[in-house]
Amino acid sequence: MAQAVLHKPSIEVSIRDKSDAELSALSSVMKLSLSVEDMKAIQIQYKNWDRDPILVELEVIAQTWSEHCKHRIFNAVIHHTSDGKQTMIDSLFNTYIKQVTQGIQAQKPGFILSAFHDNAGFIRLDDQTAVCLKAETHNHPSAIEPYAGANTGLGGVIRDILGAGKGAKPIGSLDVLCFGKPNTSPSLIKTRHVIHPLGIMRGVVRGVRDYGNRMGIPTVTGAIHFEDGYLYNPLVFCGTAGMIPTEDIDKKVVHGLKVILLGGATGRDGLHGATFSSTSLDTESHEEDQGAVQIGNPIEEKKACDCILKAREEGLIDFITDCGAGGLSSATGEMLSKTGGTLYLEEVPLKEPGLSSWEIFLSESQERMVLGIQPQHTKRLFELAGIYETQCAEIGEADNSGHLKVYHDGKKVCDLDCSFLHTSPQKTFRSHHQTKIASDIQLKPTADWGNTLKRLLKEFNVCSREPIIREYDHEVQGNTIIKPLAGALGDNPQDGSVLRVDQTEKYISLGVSLLPQYNPDPYRMGLSSVDETIRQLVVTGADPDRIALLDNFCVGNPDDPNELGKLVECIKGIADAARAYQAPFISGKDSFYNYFETDEGPESIPLTILISGIGIVENASHITGASIRQPNSKICFVGISYPETGGNACAQLTDQHGGPVPNLNPEEAIKIYRTFYKAIAQGMIRSAHDLSEGGLAVALAEMGFSLKAGLEIDLAKIPTRTTLGTGNALFSESNNRILFEVSSDYVQKITTLFQGLPFSIIGETYTNHRDLCIHENKTIIIQEKLSTLKESWKNGLLPYY
Amino acid sequence: MEKWITAILLKFPGTNCDEETERALQSVGFKTEIWPFTLVEPTRIKNVDLIVLAGGFSYGDYIMAGKLAQLNIQQKLQNSLNEFCHQGGFLLGICNGFQILMRLGLLPQGSLISNTTHRFMCQWVELNNKAQQSPFLKGLPSSFELPIAHAEGRLVTQAPKQAETYLKEGNVTLTYTQNINGSAYSIAGMQDASGQVFGLMPHPERFLYKEHHYDPDWAGDSEWGWGYYFFKGIYDHIEAM
Repeated sequence: MAQAVLHKPSIEVSIRDKSDAELSALSSVMKLSLSVEDMKAIQIQYKNWDRDPILVELEVIAQTWSEHCKHRIFNAVIHHTSDGKQTMIDSLFNTYIKQVTQGIQAQKPGFILSAFHDNAGFIRLDDQTAVCLKAETHNHPSAIEPYAGANTGLGGVIRDILGAGKGAKPIGSLDVLCFGKPNTSPSLIKTRHVIHPLGIMRGVVRGVRDYGNRMGIPTVTGAIHFEDGYLYNPLVFCGTAGMIPTEDIDKKVVHGLKVILLGGATGRDGLHGATFSSTSLDTESHEEDQGAVQIGNPIEEKKACDCILKAREEGLIDFITDCGAGGLSSATGEMLSKTGGTLYLEEVPLKEPGLSSWEIFLSESQERMVLGIQPQHTKRLFELAGIYETQCAEIGEADNSGHLKVYHDGKKVCDLDCSFLHTSPQKTFRSHHQTKIASDIQLKPTADWGNTLKRLLKEFNVCSREPIIREYDHEVQGNTIIKPLAGALGDNPQDGSVLRVDQTEKYISLGVSLLPQYNPDPYRMGLSSVDETIRQLVVTGADPDRIALLDNFCVGNPDDPNELGKLVECIKGIADAARAYQAPFISGKDSFYNYFETDEGPESIPLTILISGIGIVENASHITGASIRQPNSKICFVGISYPETGGNACAQLTDQHGGPVPNLNPEEAIKIYRTFYKAIAQGMIRSAHDLSEGGLAVALAEMGFSLKAGLEIDLAKIPTRTTLGTGNALFSESNNRILFEVSSDYVQKITTLFQGLPFSIIGETYTNHRDLCIHENKTIIIQEKLSTLKESWKNGLLPYY
Repeated sequence: MEKWITAILLKFPGTNCDEETERALQSVGFKTEIWPFTLVEPTRIKNVDLIVLAGGFSYGDYIMAGKLAQLNIQQKLQNSLNEFCHQGGFLLGICNGFQILMRLGLLPQGSLISNTTHRFMCQWVELNNKAQQSPFLKGLPSSFELPIAHAEGRLVTQAPKQAETYLKEGNVTLTYTQNINGSAYSIAGMQDASGQVFGLMPHPERFLYKEHHYDPDWAGDSEWGWGYYFFKGIYDHIEAM
């Protein structure tokens, strides 16, 4: 289609007499990313209406039906074969995610205040206040332009919070990043234009830094995973938590509400972002799709944020949502989906003159929010916009026509039946999975176990993230109590982060888990991710019965039955674990087509799931850090260690691949967590750390980095139900295990409390040395100075950032 | 009638530490208001006891930190800030506020530029109290900790020896015990000759409560952090005036 035609606002695109091949060609020329089936569904509808679509209408349908906006794979029919057994899944989302949450809703009345239908899910904090959490990915933009991609990734999820309820206040952010290894040899990159992982990492970190710091939202938690599988397609997850008065959660659009566009002006940046992110990357993406990457301006968003929060406090807002993927078309389309309404594009403030109708309507220019305001409140809203130096425009109003009608300079450019627009045809997929049986292996040391531990602490996936964490302002707003680095020397790793919530007596804990190394067994990867997130929150002092989760999936090619099969199994895993823990999913997002067409064929990412969690910490005395606080404490261990070496960090370091991925016994795990919480509530726990990458040996070292005491433990004392062997006892990454420090006065009390559970006192903290000393019965296995181990751990990433 | 001691926080687009700074001011007894800069008028600031420029990124700080805020203040308030100080008012700038005060020339000449690390640095630092008679610092020990979070906190002066003079003449209020950002003579905070204009890079409002400290066993106080005593010092001073 010639460029000139695209600029005629009310041009009709003839589709009614086109063949399948012609429809497919049209979709590709217009970059609609619609399948032939979708195009045929549109064709049938327009035949019924006896007219051809206007150009803008086709663009609106394409954005609305994009994978990014409608999550069509999660809602598709999937014919799944698992170990030879066939099942039909009618919507992964309904079957596994929503159903779990609905079940929990019935069992925990009043806890979940909103799930799935708003821009973020809310849970109850106290009688007056609710908290919410949302995470998004911004993978493709970050691959092409790391700084701007990550910048707007964070900017976008902050707007989700501002657009949740009648405008929640953002109070903390998280960022989870997956990159290729920083020391990747450039000769390994098989195609042109791909940015080296070092460039991606530096750009992404600075992008997150400059948006989060300027917005004044503390970036408090996160994770970075380095793996070759992310060389071509890095992943950038950004999340934000918010708070709101409970009475301001429910919002509704009614006839007569004015549609207000607030924030930045609209330009040509970010055209076709939703459809761009719903296809794979290739070399040409780096050249052609630059226009799909938006440009961030955090101060514009800060001004909008200040204005919105004030307007909400004054009771001016009836409805609010953000302009994200698909721009105004998605935001207003969703807002008016039940009522219908009319919009006037000439009222939209522009960055430059001469934008055509579809450009205005689809632009993904950042920092824009759409509000529904009663006519009598518009004057005050415009006043506030003036006070906070942001821009406001009335661009239309809601009616009860059931149609989305858009005018531009007097011409009608879109008139779509909302019910048609919001019912995309259901897709069908095939998926396949075969469980691989892995037999146990015994981990062996490199030179000796002390040497193995030192090397492991330096590994990219274990070492300190300090150089990056310090770039993020994690203390703005003055509410960060457990900081990402804390302990007596202020630089120990922590599990979750704990934030005060203003005007309440309570705190929230935020934690994340991402375990792509468990790909060999995607079901167990799902179980493990949920467990690790819960564990991270519980060790900081969160109530295990007041935790909510988010699921963010990143998948390669969904048309490959094996890749989709892994996703199905993984979802079963997270659903089973969440149900057992009674921890509901309150929001989630999925990102497909995370693969790159290199000259030598497609390179997909490993299946990746991020589970983020938000937990309630009931009072200040429950807050618990992860660093040893005193000599003469007992070191306690709860949970069973198994020889589960699949994906294990030590096994990878020492090239001993194989072995089963960690499994989970959620019934026992939840008992452990509830008992642990009782111990916290009774004030018995001085510090606690979750056992994760690197297992017991790494966890002990990390706790000891406060250098408050020396640590001595006996491996023979750790609870086990099988023959473990020294290597597996040191480095096993089995789930639901916690290491914690207890005053020697409580030995009797804590032992009684944990009776019937796999609990053991494995050692003590000493005042006369600062060593990590691990025995097995009488034999010394590891004896190293904690300061030497700490140096290894602190310097792993330093040369690269 | 009870007389309130009032503090006003000026809020520019991009100011983002105003709420926690307001909370800190309130906790020591100030009556406070946050004023978006569009609402600020020269006549309105006359009856105020303390004006606070809180931390953040005024106008984005894309060109030298604090520069646009300085120009806008000069255009809108002209000499009224000087008059405010002449009449006994106090002026406090924290982080970005300190940068703005330096640019306004209300503190001894100097500039806060990019840290020698060329990084944003969010961490806790130990400070030497160099002005124990300052109303802001009189309730604080000879050395104490506060968090910092800045990319442009390195104080430089036109003449290299100038900063030494500031130390001798009592303009330097706080120094870092370890020079983390390359600041001349490790300077972290400054005051003018009258002691009424005070600027510092660290964030006292982020160490209001004991629980703000990174070490759960911090033993400096049973309830409050050092930041509380910073704000309490100035409140008590104004109250006694």
